[in-house]
Amino acid sequence: MTNRDSWIALAVSLSALLLTALLTAAALALGGYSPLVVLQSLLEGSFGSLDIFFGVTLVRAIPLVVIGLAVTVAFKSGVWNIGAEGQFYAGSMAGVWVGLSVGDYPSFFSVPLVFLSAAAAGAIWALLPALMKIRLGVGEVVTTILMNFVAIHLVSYVVRWPLQESRGVFPNTDLIDESVRLPIIIPGTGLHLGFVVAVICVVGLSIFFNNTGMGFQLRAMGGSKEATRVSGRARIPMLLIVTFLLSGSLAGLAGGIEITGRTFALYEGMSPGWGYTAIAVALLADLNFIAVLVTGIFFGALEGGAGAMQREAGIPAAWVSGIEALVLLSVLASDRILRRLLRSKKKYDVKERELDV
Amino acid sequence: MNRASEGGMILIKVVNKFRIVVSALLLCIASCGDRNDESTSSESQSSDFRVALLTSGPVSDAGWHGSAYEGIKLIEQTLDAKISHQQTNTPAEFDEVLRAYASSNYKLIFAHGFEYQDAAIRVGEQFPEVTIIVSSGGRFSDNVIPLIFELEEGSYMAGVVASRMTKTETIGMVGGVAIPPAEATFTGFEAGALSVNPDVEVLVSWIGSWDDVAMAKEAATTLIRRGADVLIHNTDAASFGVFQAVREARALGEEVWAMGMNRNQNDVAPEVILGSAIIRIPEAFLQLAILWTEGKMPSGEAYYAGGQSGAADYVVNPGLAGKYQPELMAEIDSVRLGIINGLISVPRIGFLERVGGSF
Repeated sequence: MTNRDSWIALAVSLSALLLTALLTAAALALGGYSPLVVLQSLLEGSFGSLDIFFGVTLVRAIPLVVIGLAVTVAFKSGVWNIGAEGQFYAGSMAGVWVGLSVGDYPSFFSVPLVFLSAAAAGAIWALLPALMKIRLGVGEVVTTILMNFVAIHLVSYVVRWPLQESRGVFPNTDLIDESVRLPIIIPGTGLHLGFVVAVICVVGLSIFFNNTGMGFQLRAMGGSKEATRVSGRARIPMLLIVTFLLSGSLAGLAGGIEITGRTFALYEGMSPGWGYTAIAVALLADLNFIAVLVTGIFFGALEGGAGAMQREAGIPAAWVSGIEALVLLSVLASDRILRRLLRSKKKYDVKERELDV
Repeated sequence: MNRASEGGMILIKVVNKFRIVVSALLLCIASCGDRNDESTSSESQSSDFRVALLTSGPVSDAGWHGSAYEGIKLIEQTLDAKISHQQTNTPAEFDEVLRAYASSNYKLIFAHGFEYQDAAIRVGEQFPEVTIIVSSGGRFSDNVIPLIFELEEGSYMAGVVASRMTKTETIGMVGGVAIPPAEATFTGFEAGALSVNPDVEVLVSWIGSWDDVAMAKEAATTLIRRGADVLIHNTDAASFGVFQAVREARALGEEVWAMGMNRNQNDVAPEVILGSAIIRIPEAFLQLAILWTEGKMPSGEAYYAGGQSGAADYVVNPGLAGKYQPELMAEIDSVRLGIINGLISVPRIGFLERVGGSF
């Protein structure tokens, strides 16, 4: 990027930011709320202090980053996995089951066991759509979405019957043992070890996709499945299976992390649509693993700030969702304008064409 | 044209286009700034009693969540408290939101639903000076108080009415999921019915769902076939199925009645609902807030909101008041009084558990 290009980038980003602020302010003013108070609570609720940044923004970013990675893995390889939501639930069910079963073994044994089983469950949840795609040619967009509903209702069943709390009163599981809970890495903030796991996943996937033969084949399949097949150097069904399993296991792992890091039990409605938000996280990051960490934190800040908007500024929840969407749209729009301005220099890019949705 | 000037042109175009909008907005912001000043000055007059509410659904539901919001509004008006509400989206954020309120000096927090209880116990331990009320909760500690709505008192009164109204000496109950709070309401209904006529037969049918309308209708129809001519329910949206079954039986010329539960449902099917066993959530919230300001907040025990505080009651459907004999109207009042005075003991199902030590 030349010096001039970066000036354009800065100008566009700043004007987009200004536009967002003005649009939001207009909407709020029309609704009779003070834009300044709202903006202040949004920023204070996400970046107000180090405690808030670690304890709210980063904690909320963890599931978004890990599921965002799951989506990135799939989309980068040309697989449209819209089923991260269901794979997350599969992971949390397996995670809580193993977490309750292991009892009080040492943490270095039980916690990885929970993570492994959660990842395995997520992978199994993604396996069925994978087999249907390979064997029967059924598009994964439909099958993965349908598997989401199966998982959501399975959770309702599991917390009422097989895994219901031992007193049998409320529809949730018992709490997992203290030893199976993730340690807090920054005392007093609630930021748990899950963040480190997320960062390790980011780095690991980055290395895997950019520096290994398998990673290259997956990227090639994402570029053009047909070209990869006729090259004769890769077996597409095997690559598809790998993609589905890897993507599913990451979303499942996110379930294991939430169980051991935040809720300590399985409840209904654990995910407020993270599996779908993660698609935005991945696309905004341009399917770049390192960038997923950044966009995930951005979304975490937005969610954390949204909570503070309700608490401090008294904005109703429906308004907050609207403002969140407005911010997101402006960021996406500025991102696209930026790319269009800078594109003419680049060669035509297959990946970009496919993702221009 | 080089790219920098291209970008510049775009910016100029954009700015031109939005100049009018921008100037309008600035006016708006300025005026809102003024309004904000006013609100802060009025805030400074109010006391520093801060009350927070957490709900896991929209307060526009005209039901469970909406009545909780009415509750803190009532506290704001009556006790001049500063109130705040947040709708949570996932159990994963319960701890964070409770902690945010507790550390911003909110001394009384209403967590409206049993789903908050585990998080409330955890956060309550970190903030011993804060009281967290968990609606319909099942666990308590020193500063985490379950708010138990004694709907069984209202349904006891409904049972008395049903027993007086039945001609077949058979009455029926259609339940959602057989959890202890729901079972308690049926135990109360049965006890009320048997208290006035020990020969009345009480039929029960659990459908395993709170909002399966078709299933509820089928269950209600079956109960009617078995001779029940007054039906009560304890479900959410599935209650429409019960009312529909009663409507259809009446269309066939049978003398069958329904009763509402939880909320005043008399308007839902005014031609078939004799009355409703209800809980008044806003009044219960206000009672608790008053106890808090008087320093009489219960500690280490549940708070029961029943007939005594006016939080549980039976409401006659005014449209069908003509169906009630004057003696029955008087009997309802005397039963209400008896429950409040403790002369009538309504059976209860306990599901509370104390949580102590480290959690």
